[in-house]
This record gives sequence, C-alpha cells and structure tokens, in this order.
Amino acid sequence: MNQQTTAPASLEAPQIRIDTLPHAKSLKWPMVWYLLVGQLYSMLPWKKTAWTCAGFPVELLWGFDIFPLHPENMATVAAAQKQSQRLIEHAEGMGYSRDLCSYCKTNLGAVDTNIKTTLGGIAKPDIITCTNTICDTHWKWFQIQAEKLKVPIFIFDCPKIVSGTDERTIEGYINYMVEQFYDFFEFVKKHTGKELNIDRLNRACEESERMSVLWREIYEYRKCVPSPYSSAETSASFFPLVVLPGKKVGIKFFEKIKGDIRKRAESGRGTLSGGAKERYRLLFEGIPFWYKMRFMYDLAKYSAVVTYEPYTFSFAPPKPVGKDYTETLREVARIMMDLPYSYNLEKRIQYFEQAVKDFKIDGVILHENLSCRPSSTGMIDLKNAIQEDLGVPVLILQCDMNDPRAYSEAQMKTRIESFIEVMEKNRKG
Amino acid sequence: MKKIAYFDSSHDMPEEIIMAAGFVPYKIFGDVHKSNAPADQYLQAFFCPAARSFLTEALTRSAEWEGIIVAQGCNATNRHYDVWKRHVSTPFLHWFNGPIKDDAMALRFMKTELWRLIDTLNRQFRVSITDDMIAAAIRESNEVKKRLQRVSALRSEKDITNREYLTVLIKSMTLPKKDAVAAIDELIHKAEKGGPIPKNNIKVLLTGSDVTYPELMDQIDEAGFRVVRDDLSVGERYYTTLIPEDGNPVDALARYYLSVPRPATKVGMRKRIEYLEGALADSGLDTVISQNIKFCEPFAYDSVMVNGELKERGIRLLHIEREFTPGPDNQLMNRLAAFSEML
Ligand code: SF4
Ligand code: SF4
Repeated sequence: MNQQTTAPASLEAPQIRIDTLPHAKSLKWPMVWYLLVGQLYSMLPWKKTAWTCAGFPVELLWGFDIFPLHPENMATVAAAQKQSQRLIEHAEGMGYSRDLCSYCKTNLGAVDTNIKTTLGGIAKPDIITCTNTICDTHWKWFQIQAEKLKVPIFIFDCPKIVSGTDERTIEGYINYMVEQFYDFFEFVKKHTGKELNIDRLNRACEESERMSVLWREIYEYRKCVPSPYSSAETSASFFPLVVLPGKKVGIKFFEKIKGDIRKRAESGRGTLSGGAKERYRLLFEGIPFWYKMRFMYDLAKYSAVVTYEPYTFSFAPPKPVGKDYTETLREVARIMMDLPYSYNLEKRIQYFEQAVKDFKIDGVILHENLSCRPSSTGMIDLKNAIQEDLGVPVLILQCDMNDPRAYSEAQMKTRIESFIEVMEKNRKG
Repeated sequence: MKKIAYFDSSHDMPEEIIMAAGFVPYKIFGDVHKSNAPADQYLQAFFCPAARSFLTEALTRSAEWEGIIVAQGCNATNRHYDVWKRHVSTPFLHWFNGPIKDDAMALRFMKTELWRLIDTLNRQFRVSITDDMIAAAIRESNEVKKRLQRVSALRSEKDITNREYLTVLIKSMTLPKKDAVAAIDELIHKAEKGGPIPKNNIKVLLTGSDVTYPELMDQIDEAGFRVVRDDLSVGERYYTTLIPEDGNPVDALARYYLSVPRPATKVGMRKRIEYLEGALADSGLDTVISQNIKFCEPFAYDSVMVNGELKERGIRLLHIEREFTPGPDNQLMNRLAAFSEML
C-alpha cells in the first residue's frame, strides 16, 4: 500500500510510527533541573517554595525567589509512572467522590502515602497559592491541602470574562485583581519573609517571554504540511513552559528542538516514519491521557497527526515586557483572567475556528474529560459550530486525563477508526 | 407583576436590586419532575443535574420573564452562562460576578458589581433605581427573613414537616414578597397552634448541596428524621442574617451578602465548619445528615473534611451522594434507614 497517495485500504498501517526529534531526549535536563532545584529549595531553610496551579503567573513567584511546585504536574508524573490509579483509589478510600478531579485525588493520595517525587510525590511547601480562573477544583483542592498540611494559602479571586463582557467591566475586574496582588505581596512577606524584587520580576517576565516566543515559533512551523512536530512530543516537551518559564535550561531545550523542527520543515519532512504521508491533520482539545501517552503515537498508524493542541499552546501567552510596574501588574491580571483554557464560549469558538484554518485541520478531537467539567462545558456547542461553520468533522471522546479506569482500549480504537472513516468521506465530499 | 429570573447556586443574588427596579425576583429551581432533555442538547449528563434542570426551565419558560441574571457561584453558573447566552431566548441576560472571598477588597468589588447591576437595569428597563427604593426593598426582604427566623425557631419544637419548611422557603424566593409573607404567616399560625414534633422523630441538622424539591424532604421525614437546623441556601443561609437597614443601602447589601453563612462555593471552609458547630451547639443537636447531589463538586470537595471534623467532635453523621429525582431514591432510603437504626 502506498501511504503517500491513496486512502487507507486498511485503516491501520502498523509500520508507520512517529519519528521523534533528534533532540527530544534533551528534555530530561530541564526535568532533572526542576526536580533537583525543587528539592534544594525545599531543604534549605532560607529558600522558600510554593504550591501553585495552572493559570497562576509563576513569574510572580520568581520575583520573590520562591520556587514553584506544581501538584498538577506531579500528578501527571504519577500517571506516566503508572501510579495514578492507586493514588486516586487511595483518595476515594479517604472519602473523595469518584466524580471529582483525578489530579486532585492523585495529589491527595500522593501526599497521604508520602510517595517519592520521581513517582509523582511532592514536598510540603512554605505557602500555597492558586486561582479560580480555570476551575473551582484548584482552590477547593488547595484549600483542603492547606488545612491538612497547615500551610498558609492565598486564593486569587479572578472575575469571569463571560461572553459579551465589555472592556469597561474588564477594567473594573483588573482593578480588583491588582488590589489582590498587593495583598498577596503582604501575605508572602508575612509567611516567607520575602519581598518582591521588581528587577527580578521584570527579568523573569522577559525570560519567560523569550521562552514563550520560542514555543510560538515552533507552533508556526506546525502549520507546515506535513507538520514537522506533533502532539506525541509536545505533550511532554511543553513541560518547561509550565514549571520553568524563562529558565535557561528550558530555553536551551526549546532552542535545540526548534533547530530540529526548522530543519525538518525546510526539507519538507513530517513526523511520520519512512516519509509516510500525513493524511489527516488533527486538532486535539483537552488534557492528554497521561497514563496512555501511546494514544498520541498510535494515531500515526492511521497516518493521522495532531498538529495543534490549544492545551499545550495555552501556556505561552505573551508576557508583559518593557512595561512599568503598574502596567505589568495590570497586564498580568488580564492574562490571568483571559487564558485560552478559560476563554468564554464565544471566544473559544472563534479561537478554534481560526486554529482549524491556520493549521489546515481535517478533523477535531475534543476530550470530554470526566475529571474536568469546566473545560467540557460548551463542548457540544463548540463541536456543532466547527462542523457547521467549517464543515470539519469533530469527535467528542469521553475519557479522563489521569484515571486509567476511564480508558477502554477497544472503545478508543473503534471510535478513532470510525472517525478516520468520517474524515476520509468528508475529504471526498 | 413582572418577574426577573435568576440562576443562583447559593444565596449570592441581591434580590433587593431587582425589587427596587420594580420586578419580582424569581429564583430558578428547575423541575425535578420534568426530563432534562432540553438542556441535555447542550450539557452532557455528567454535569450537575440541578443545573441542567435550571437550564431546562430557562429554555422552556424564559418567555414568562423580563430577563435573567446569573450570579457567580459554582462552575455551573460561571461556565454555563455562555451556554445560556447562546440558547435561552431572553431580552436581557446579565452576569453578576459576586466575589468568592469576603475581605475588604472583595467588599469593594461587590459594591462595584452592585453598581454595575443597578446601572444595567436602569438602562435596560428605563428605570431609575434610587437609594430609597433599595432601602424599601431591603425592609421588605427583612420582613420575609424575620418571619423565616420565627419558622426556624418553631421548627425545633413544633410539628413543621420537612416539606412545609422547604415549601415556604421556595415561596420566599419565587413569589412577590407580600405573598411570601402571607404564606409564611400561615405556616407560623398553623405551627403555633399545632402539636410538637412527633416523639419518634430524630432531630437533625441538614447540610450539603441545596435541596430544591420537597420530595427529598419527604423521604427524610419518612425515614424518621426531622430537620430542625441546616446551613442551606434554600434554608438558614437565606434568612439567618438580616440586611442592615441603616447607612447607605448599597453598602448594606454588599456587607450582607458577604456575611451570610459561607457555602462551599465560597472561600472559607473553616467558617463553614464554625457555623455548623455553632448551630449544633446552640440547638443541642448531635446528629447531621450531609448530602451532595451527584456531580455537585463544591460540596463533594468540602464533605470529607467538614464531616470528618464534625465526627471528631462526636457528632453522629451520615453522608450521602444523592440523585436528582422525585421518585424514591432507593440508595438514599436504605442509607437513611440504616442510619436511623444505628442511632
Ligand atoms: S483537570 Fe480540570 S478540574 Fe482538574 S485541576 Fe485541571 S482544570 Fe481543574
Ligand atoms: S448543586 Fe452544586 S454544582 Fe449544582 S448548581 Fe448547586 S452548587 Fe453548583
């Protein structure tokens, strides 16, 4: 069979694999750096650490020289290390409902069983900070842990920019956020003795922006046909952007992989092995299945490549650079309230439709995440809009990012194969 | 009188502003007897069934209302707003973003949101809401709350069924206030004349997700439990504090809404625990039924720690994850029966 030109006679062509980038393995350095430096900060009495969540501007913590520890990220480590199910079940044994977020339960289980960092454990922090911008889970979860661990907590109350919110209202919301920043600075000083160093904050923002720019440039290359980089790799390689924005070790890694990607793009090569043709370009929305990263690789069997994921891209918003202190805080506040991951439905539809066009998408997979009601809200509207406005097929896959009990291999295979058929039919018109 | 409906997952919606604008505030309770099929076109089955029922009601009844306000509460209010905006046909849909915290900054922000609401209603309905109008609405609202406080005092001694209590609360949040007052007075009159709580009933405090339909209260009654205290929004949270009647009325409203007993949708689990402990101590109760509706995350998150602390203090407590159904919820009935036997 010639994968280059014809529709797949058999849907599955097992010989096609993902060619990873030459520098893919260099990701281990930022990861090692993160774990080691995190440990050091946790051990040395004059160094301080904070637990924080997605959507929180980590640069602020760097401005205090506080090391950010990420319970969500460590939960993904637990899943990748095949620990999440037992930790989730442990948390359910503590009384937490099966219907609650599996990141939270993984973390509750990890702390309660005192599991090693390499398996997804996490050290007790000096302070905890989080927001309600993406979900209620973040602050409900962190509030529970703050009580259990007896660690002071600061919760940012981020007003919601719902569909149709006008600019004047948003400015009012920003005022409230900025007031909370000043309160947060007091809180940090009280509980860690640390004060915000403006130069350090500005440097962190600048370096963070440098890293984000690299990531955004990488995504520009992903618009090429074939795409030189796929979600099989981005799902892991975006790690430095989440936990180490702006850190040199991460920037170096991004520069290396960007070099690989550029070379590939210039030579017209894609990610599929043996020069196989990229037949279906996919957009994947939602958090990947961390315990089953093979899912992203296995799509290659169908000559399908995920060329864009709003999730991994959302960690690289433009950072405030070259602004004065007040402007920087206002800008950070705006970014916190208006992340791609918490876009309102109107904005989300526009954003997705633009991405479908820009990345020449043949089909969209939406992960309806049993753990994550906030991100699954509006998914039916999103599906209908993309299908109706652009004629691009959309598949809603119900699963869970950290709880393997929600994943059925056979069902996934059937759903993906029928979707490939739908995309094929759609292509033929 | 014309109604403005509101979607409120707790007691966050300042009804008094709607009243001052000349409308009847109508809290959307959904209808547990009706299929959620209309909402299910847009919200999957793993979302809170109560919130889906609210959307169903809005999709089918919005023509009866002059507009809808959604007040920030749980992720259902926050995220479903956009879905409502797309599909519910209404001339007016407003997002009221009350804060989740209760500190000085939150208070200032609450005032800003109140002024934004006043301004929007003024423009939308060509009215001019004045301080006096708000002050009058506050007094009217307090009349309802004071009477409900009387009901609450009576229910710990007198035979007020769980259904009667919930029904009068639902009326307080859906009828014109003067009709609500009449309904409450009728209940007070009946209770004062009536007998005491039947002897074999076990007095309990009810906590957790809001109960929005009386059939659930019947099931609790049938199992031999009489609810005499609670910390629900369709319950004590709605009336236990009065709105200050002195000073600037917008300031008073802001202070009031931030000082009502904290629900799980707001920061302050410790304060929630303290309220529960206080209510138990005041009334000499030692038995609690805690429940959360399936997929109601805020209360499910809270339940483990809140209930754990109460149990540590020797409180006898049952926690149930319940369905949203008017029919017999077998699991609920079995658990209640087992709890009753154990006691
Ligand atoms: S998976 Fe969803 S609910 Fe869980 S922490 Fe992340 S955004 Fe929140
Ligand atoms: S029952 Fe729970 S999830 Fe549902 S609307 Fe109320 S607070 Fe929100």
